[in-house]
Amino acid sequence: MRKFVINVNGNRYEVEVEEVGGSVNAVQPAAAPVQAAPAEPAQPVQKAEAPAAPKPAANSSAPAGAVKITAPMPGTILDIKVKTGDQVKKGDILLILEAMKMENEIVSPQDGVIASVNTSKGASVNSGDLLLSING
Amino acid sequence: MATMDKINDLYARKRKAELGGGEERIEKQHASGKKTARERILMLMDPNSFVEMDAFVETRSIEFGMQKKKIPGDGVVTGYGTVNGRLVYISSQDFTVIGGSLGEMHAAKITKVMDMAVKMGAPFISINDSGGARIEEGIDALKGFGEIFYRNTIASGVIPQISVIMGPCAGGAVYSPAITDFVFMVEKTSQMFITGPQVIKAVTGEDVTFEELGGAAAHNTTSGVAHFKSASEEDCIRDIKRLLSFLPDNNLSDSELIDCTDDVNRLSDELNAIIPDEPNRPYDMKKVVTTVLDNYDFLEVHEGFAKNIIVGFGRVNGRTVGIIANQPQVNAGVLDVNSSDKAARFVRFCDAFNIPLVTFTDVPGYLPGVEQEHSGIIRHGAKLLYAFSEATVPKINIIVRKAYGGAYIAMNSKHLGADIVFAWPSAEIAVMGPEGAANIIFRKDIASSDDPISFREEKIREYREKFSNPYIAASRGYVDDVIEPAATRIRVAGALEMLTSKREARPSKKHGNIPL
Repeated sequence: MRKFVINVNGNRYEVEVEEVGGSVNAVQPAAAPVQAAPAEPAQPVQKAEAPAAPKPAANSSAPAGAVKITAPMPGTILDIKVKTGDQVKKGDILLILEAMKMENEIVSPQDGVIASVNTSKGASVNSGDLLLSING
Repeated sequence: MATMDKINDLYARKRKAELGGGEERIEKQHASGKKTARERILMLMDPNSFVEMDAFVETRSIEFGMQKKKIPGDGVVTGYGTVNGRLVYISSQDFTVIGGSLGEMHAAKITKVMDMAVKMGAPFISINDSGGARIEEGIDALKGFGEIFYRNTIASGVIPQISVIMGPCAGGAVYSPAITDFVFMVEKTSQMFITGPQVIKAVTGEDVTFEELGGAAAHNTTSGVAHFKSASEEDCIRDIKRLLSFLPDNNLSDSELIDCTDDVNRLSDELNAIIPDEPNRPYDMKKVVTTVLDNYDFLEVHEGFAKNIIVGFGRVNGRTVGIIANQPQVNAGVLDVNSSDKAARFVRFCDAFNIPLVTFTDVPGYLPGVEQEHSGIIRHGAKLLYAFSEATVPKINIIVRKAYGGAYIAMNSKHLGADIVFAWPSAEIAVMGPEGAANIIFRKDIASSDDPISFREEKIREYREKFSNPYIAASRGYVDDVIEPAATRIRVAGALEMLTSKREARPSKKHGNIPL
């Protein structure tokens, strides 16, 4: 039995994974999601070397091939307007980043589908931190 | 040979030179989505205006079989002609001749027209499509590059220099465009880099494509090397013509005065409503800029790079102006390393070529952070202060909303020599934002208060009401007038008219030492 902590759209889940004959077939989410601490943005404990590790829906890396949206400057995530799987058009507002006492709209650079959301409301982010990713 | 035969021989020679690398290579050039050197010149120039020079120049090299490879023209077409009736000099590298590679005589053709452009005081346009230095010619090729870079530098600030990348431009060749004033690139067919993907792979192990490394997108958004990106060569030529229309021929002449077809007294009521009531909300500064300009016509330079500041050309009452404006919609409109570089270089271009500066200020400050500090925001931010201080062209500043701290000073403030500073009633001109100021000034009072949160809120409100307005600055004369936003166009046009005779003497010196 191995234990993982997974952040999905800002909700924190504890997941236990049991390895049976080298393949995964038991993933049990803990009963209640634990609210993510705002000071700790989506950086799940990632010891994913084991072949049995589940693929977390949101983590600190974007799915391969997806366009990464990173924080342009340090600030706080005020609002997230999209969730994984949403269709977005170029110019749509993805998130609001409060920085320099301004509500900065982070807009989509292209049409596509949200592949992952890697941050949470209230999280403080640094320039270059991955916020979300889009599959074009 | 009879005279008639000699004349026929002349035309035969000219035809040979015009064919460059031959029909097969021309077809290959077309198949890769590119036009030939000559086609590009003809697209740009007014019909029948192009006069070619040095069509018979050939390489002098005899090493490595160069004698057999040599073709009249030596891989570059040079000469002069007119664009919209105005004289320009041009060089256009011919990729069909030995890959457009640059050898001694190829470079000599280019430097010849550059020298003429400076003597005659006309813009120089260089179309780049070359595999780089011609290795067979050894250090004579390097000499050629060096002589071009030297002339680019000597001509800088004397005539406008425009580089157009329409193919590869690699290695040392990139430094000529880098010294010139504006770099145009065409999507998918043009690349610039010092070392290519193969070398990078060998040295650092990084995998990168030509386009990712040095394509139009990379240089127009990430590196800031290029100023304009076009979808096709035709679009690129159109953009060059448009840019030229805003520029003077040289540093001693003024930009062309165009008949203004837009009412100078046009009131722009939309500007009265553009600033959101909440000071933390963004809006699109480009709307403010275009509304003030003739026919809402604005040519943005560096559109995709450091978008938190907007720079570009427009006209007010028919006269070219250079616009610098903070963009609150992108990264709160902060000044950072890249936006300072972008704006400073643009200010210096305008100053060199007698183009008045009109700035629109809405800046929350310099961007905080370790990354910015360690990237040298002190050094880069200083360039903007330096450039505005150094500029002697008419300088007008409109403070639209925030003007805080050092960034207020940097954005063409009265203290750096702005001739006219207007402020909108929404202006907040102060040493810092109300939140920060209240925290510092009332730190002890807040800490000892029974209800620190609401006490702090109250102090912030107090500070905002007292200082976050244009009237303190206006009472000192740092702002010449507070104006209704709708009247901005009229007031700017009037101020520019008043400033046309501006002369400002500076101590004579060799040159200043801008913090590069």
